[in-house]
This record gives sequence, structure tokens and C-alpha cells, in this order.
Amino acid sequence: MSVEPLIRVRDLQLSLPDMARKPLFGPAPRIEILKGLSFDLPRGAITGIVGESGSGKTTAGRALVRLLQPTGGSITFKGQDITHLSETSLKPLRRDLQMIFQDPMSSLNPRHTIGRIIANPMERYGVPNARQRALETLERVGLPASFAGRFPHELSGGQRQRVGIARAVALDPAFILADEIVSGLDVSSQAQVLTLLRQLAQDMNLTIAFISHDLSVIRNVCSQVIVLNQGLIAEAGPCRQVFDAPQSPITQTLIDAIPLPEIDESWFDTVKV
Amino acid sequence: MTVPTLEIQSLTLGLKGGARLLRDVSLSVKPGEVHALVGESGAGKSMIGKAVLGVLPPSVQTLSGSINLQGNQLDALSPAARRQAVASVASLIPQDPLTALNPSRRIGPQITDRLIKRLGWKADDAQRRALELLDRVRIRDPQRVMASYPHELSGGMRQRVLIAAAFAPRPKLIVADEPTTALDVTVQKQILALIRELQQQEQTAVLFVTHDMGVVAKISQRVSVLFAGKVMESSDTADIFSHPKHPYTQALIMATPRYTHPDEALRPVPAELIAQLQREIAADDRGAAHVR
Amino acid sequence: MADAALTAVTQPRARVRKPNPRLWLSLTWILIVVVAAVGAQWLAPHNPLEQDLLLERLPPLGFSGSEASYILGTDSLGRDVLSRLIYGARIALAVALAASFAACLTGSLLGLAAGYFGGWTDRIVSRFIDIWMSFPPVLFAVLLVAVLGTGLGSVILAIAIIDWTRFARVVRAETMVQSRMDYVYSARIGGATRLRILAAEVLPNVLPTIAALLALEMGVAVIVEAILSFVNLSISSDSPTWGSMIAEGRATLHFAWWVLVFPLVVLFLTVLSFSQLGQGLKDQFDPLSR
Repeated sequence: MSVEPLIRVRDLQLSLPDMARKPLFGPAPRIEILKGLSFDLPRGAITGIVGESGSGKTTAGRALVRLLQPTGGSITFKGQDITHLSETSLKPLRRDLQMIFQDPMSSLNPRHTIGRIIANPMERYGVPNARQRALETLERVGLPASFAGRFPHELSGGQRQRVGIARAVALDPAFILADEIVSGLDVSSQAQVLTLLRQLAQDMNLTIAFISHDLSVIRNVCSQVIVLNQGLIAEAGPCRQVFDAPQSPITQTLIDAIPLPEIDESWFDTVKV
Repeated sequence: MTVPTLEIQSLTLGLKGGARLLRDVSLSVKPGEVHALVGESGAGKSMIGKAVLGVLPPSVQTLSGSINLQGNQLDALSPAARRQAVASVASLIPQDPLTALNPSRRIGPQITDRLIKRLGWKADDAQRRALELLDRVRIRDPQRVMASYPHELSGGMRQRVLIAAAFAPRPKLIVADEPTTALDVTVQKQILALIRELQQQEQTAVLFVTHDMGVVAKISQRVSVLFAGKVMESSDTADIFSHPKHPYTQALIMATPRYTHPDEALRPVPAELIAQLQREIAADDRGAAHVR
Repeated sequence: MADAALTAVTQPRARVRKPNPRLWLSLTWILIVVVAAVGAQWLAPHNPLEQDLLLERLPPLGFSGSEASYILGTDSLGRDVLSRLIYGARIALAVALAASFAACLTGSLLGLAAGYFGGWTDRIVSRFIDIWMSFPPVLFAVLLVAVLGTGLGSVILAIAIIDWTRFARVVRAETMVQSRMDYVYSARIGGATRLRILAAEVLPNVLPTIAALLALEMGVAVIVEAILSFVNLSISSDSPTWGSMIAEGRATLHFAWWVLVFPLVVLFLTVLSFSQLGQGLKDQFDPLSR
């Protein structure tokens, strides 16, 4: 029995105006960031999107949750084409398309309490007992309910990321975009956050797009992976397959570049300086 | 037995308010050796490098201990003499290539300035050495890069320039403060390879600060593991990865995900271990305070 | 949690914010000015307008020839300097508060709109600011008052009309920075409307900047009023203002220095206090470790 993928992306293109080269009169020349991506995000799975800077992975993620508007191609969510929907039409869908951000410092409003940060989206969508649910969600991510009255600057980076996760799952969404959520964290906070994410994904049957530059993290968390390079897909498939038998030289270079925490005399042999 | 390039003994640093940043840190680095300082954020690894170079923030005081660099007992010198001693012998590869370069000056002077003004080189010699090093870090058009401004170069290229600048004065010691943290993983490998190559050719001692156990395994011969300003374990890199002795070292290694072992559960450093280590450290602090 | 525990050991305990001396000193002086302005009727030893040509140019207390009840001396018309300073505080304060709030409100609203909505809104507002700011401010003020006629209202209006651009520029910049923070994107994802985001997410984070600028602006307003009254374009020359006192004092500087010096010192301290207040406010309430 084949289940429809939650999100279907076909030939996604996105270009942005290059304001640095804008002439005095007339439109700015456009930089093509995404040059035509096609992939599926299967329900209930964690799919990794990996690439180096300039690969377009961040842009692809933001296009998925419609923080950016694609300039070509299509994005289908639960069978509905959301590519060019207006903000008003998107509003009811936003509840299902949530996001966790990279920077634990700037993703939480420094002037709001933790409780308010988690409860706000729920209140906006008319979820009853938002405050109570916020407290429950806090406990769900392993933080004490007493944190609800604290401010972001009183928490550590790992704790702030867990608040970000709480905010995203509180609405019980169908899809979550996790954009480099552990990149700025210590290795032990990283492990905690990833374990939490995996657990929640399983418990709530979440579909997650996990953006990262760290292949080891991806391998540990995702079942599928999409490798991006310069706005195009270099390779995609189940993690096992892509890692054990990479087809693209891009993927191979990425894998070779990972410093594993083990002694390896030949590691530097594969570098092209 | 070779005389170490850098010898730190029982270094203890603290803030004026009383909190300790480094607790009784001792380590030594031999010529041509890469000694990694690894730990999580706040462990104090950057502080050690800053203490050696003499660039600690004004609020940090040295409470006890000594630093010996290339035969100079640094704490016994006046600030001016200390600066001169350090400048002629040590260099820094900083973490952020973006902010480490002056955006309004060309690359050339930023490399040669120190050679000419601080170390008294002749302008021609400095120029030649800068070009030589830009070539050795595999920059394709060194002349053009010398005349360029930082914003005209990519992040990876800027880091190469900074490496060239660090090796230019033929230092005996280089402090590399998380030089690859801000870089893509493929660029990181290239930069690590360059640092290793240059360091081996010039037999420079390197104090390499990082939070990544994988980088430690690849670049260093010796490693000191730091937690809360204290050295938990210090030994040869090969030994640490084959038989880590201290539970914190083991925990750090196990918390680092490996793509070769995808089914391994991610293991955060256990909270009980952290709590226990903190108790021990607090007890040590109290003991030291009584002695004083 | 492990990382909280880690933090507790590796970082010093957060220091309780010591009261900022800059803040306290400037607040103290401003309080004195406020008390003087509010309680002028009861505090001033003499009627500021009352002249007695027999008591002209009395030196301040401590100098030979002074009179006990004229602590800071008298001017060339026999009017008590201290009383005039106290009453002058009324004008200074009224102008400071009214003009700066007016400038702040106008400028901040436009700055917020330009910084948050961007696009055409920003383009129009920015052009507007650029053009407006190219008029030399003091000249502009003089022109305005000449057109509108003298009086307290005109002065306040003139200052507000000129100085709103200062707010607009700075608030626009800060708003732009805050609008690009991830927590704003998060609010969008959380279903908030654009206006709601501006009011509930962005504005609270721009407020410290606005507050600091407002305090600074008060100092500016006092100076501009002093300049205007110096050239007799402020309120009518009967009611004492510090600026007019300085103007009058120029003529008698060589033989009655106190007529010039005291208003000058008071003006200086007041403006300094406002600017330090702004800085002190920013220091004190700077969001919570950026």
C-alpha cells in the first residue's frame, strides 16, 4: 500500500533579487538559488537535507514552509498546491507547517517569557487552554514547568532549542522544518536535542525535514537524505544507500571530509587542497 | 629530551568577582607538536590560548601559576617586555575569518605590517615572505590577493590568508583558536591539511583549541580535555581514543555521532557525571581557599 | 539538566545590577529641575519679574555687596537671578517634555513603519527624511518661529517638526534589525498577522532604543529653546528663560558675570543630565545579555 507523501516538490525554483547590483532605475538582476528541485517527503519520516553553504538548503527549507515564495515549480502539501497561495489562504495551513530555527538566541523573543512564547501560537489558532497546554509541552520536552515564567536569556542554548521544539510541537503539526537546530550547540546538548526530536517524531508521527551540514548527525537521525549542491539535487535516497554507496562525487567528498572521532592516518590522503 | 616550546604550570585564572575560569592547568607543547585543547563551551580552552598570548580580558586575573614560552618566563616580565617576547615567537589563527581582517585595508599590509613594524624586517623581505606563504596555502594568484580587500575573498580564502599571516613571522608557537568552526566541512578538511603541512615543514608547535573530538583525532598528537577550567585528562591522542581513562573523556567521545555507526544511540554526557565533577571541583576550590 | 549545571560551574553567577551612578546623578539633577519647575511659586524667593533699580547688579552671596535674600545676585534690572532660574525651569521642562514626545511619536511611528514594512513605505519615508534633514535645523527653527509667531506653542512645534527625523532614522534601523530576527519568522509561522507582529514582537525590542533617544532629545530640545530665546524668538521676553538670561547676561559680563554664568551652568547641567540619562537608561535596561 503506497501512502501519498505529505509534501511533494516538483521542479522547485527560487531566485532572489541581487540588491547589491541593482541599477538606479529598473529591477535588480536575480540570483538563482534553487534551480529546479524535485523530491518527496514521506509521511512520518525524518528526511535530511544536507549541503554546504551556497547549496540552497536553507532556502529550500524556507520555501517548504512558505516563508519564501517560489519563482517556479510546485509544492504540494497534503494534496493541495500551496506554491502561490496568499498569506490569508496560508493561514489555516500554517498550523500544520511548523519550523524550528537554528539560532537559539534570536529565535526566541528576548522580551517574552517562555510560557508566552509557547502559548502564543496556540492562542492565535484558538486552541483552548493554551497556557495549560504550554506547561504540558514544556514537560514533554524535558523542561520543568517553572521555566514558563523565565526569560530566554536565563536558559542555556540547549534549553532554548528545546523551547523552540516545544513551540513547534505544541500545535500538533503535521510537518516540522528543523533548520540546523543543533549547529550551535555543544555536543552533549546536541545529543539531548536530537534524542528528544526523534522521540517526539515517533510519538506524534511527525514528518520532519532536517536541514544540516553535518552528515554524521543526519545519518543518526534521518531515514532518507537529499544532498544539495548549488541549487540542485546531487543525490537522494535512503540514508543507508547514500552513505554506503554514494553515487555522486559531491556526496563522496562530503563523506570523506567528516572527521570521525577515531585515529585515521589516511584521512588526509583524500584531500584536494 | 627536547625542551618544550610552551610550558604551562598550575595556571589558575579568575575573575575579580571571585569565579574561577581556569583551575590549576598544566601542559606542555614540544616543537613540531600539535596539542589539542578540547572541551565544551565555557570549559576554558580559549582562555588558555589567550593567557599565553597575553590577550586576556581586563577583568581576568592570574591567581597563580606560570607560563614559559621559548625559555621566557612570561609572568616575570613587564607588560611591554612580555608583548615583545610573545610577538617575536607566537602567532594566532583566529576563529572568525570575517572579523579578524580589517575590511578597509588590503591583504598585503595586513600580513606584512607585523613583520616590518614589530619584528623589524625589511619591506622587501616581508613582501617576499608574504607571497611565499600565500603560495604555500595554495592561493592561486598571490599578487592579486595581496592587493585585494577582505570582502573580495571567500570565507575559505580568508582563513587561508590568516594561516599565511600566522606562519609568516616563523613563529615557534601558534595558537589556533577554533579555526575551522565557522567553515564548511570540506573547507575544514582543506584548512586542517594546510595547517598540518605548514606546521610540519616549519616544525611549529601548535596549541589547537576545538570542541570537536573528530578534529582532535585528525590533527593532534597530544590532547588535554577540559571541563570547568580544569584538565580532566591529558595524554597522547592515540591513547585517548583507544583507552580513554577519564569518564568525561569517554562521555565526550561517545556523544559525538559517527556516520559509520548509525544505529548507535546518541549519548549525551550524563547529568550525574557532570554533577559529580562539579562537586569535586567545588570541593577543590574550597580546599584551595583554605590553604590561602 | 546537564547544560544548566555546566553553565553554573563554568560561568560566574550573574551579578545583581548595581545601580548605575550615571543614571542616578542625572536623575537627581533632573528631579531638582522638575521640583523647581513644579514648585516655582513656593520655591522662588522673589517674583522673577519684579525689578528694583536700586538693587541692580547685586553680586551673589559671599561676595562683598551682596544681599542675603538675593542668593545668586541680581541682574541689570534688579531681578533676582535665582528666582528667574527657577521660573525658567518651567519653560525648559515644558519644552523638553512636549517637544521631545511629539518628535518621538511622529518619528518613531514613521521609523517603525519604514523599517518593518520595507518596500514602497520605506522608500517614501526614507526620501522624505533625507529631504527634510537637508534643511539646516536651527535656521529652519528660526524660520518656522518667524512664520508661526513667537510663543511656547510655536517653539514646541518648531522643535518637533525638525527633530522627528532623528527618531525616524534610528528607529528605522533598529526595526530593520529586529524584523529579521528568527523570532519574527517564528511568529509568522505561528500565524500572527503582520500588524500583530509589529506591535507585540518587534516594538518591545525597539523600545529601549526609543527611550534612550527620547532622553537625549529632551536635552536637545532644551538647547534649541535656549538658542531661540537667545535670539528672542522664543516666548515673550517677560517670562524668564535660561536662553534669554544668557543673552542679557552677555551685555553685563564684565561687571556682573553672575547674570551670565549661572544660567549657563544650569543649562549645561540640564542638557548633560538628559543625555546621560539616555545613556544610563540604555545601560540599565539593555536587553538581558545580547
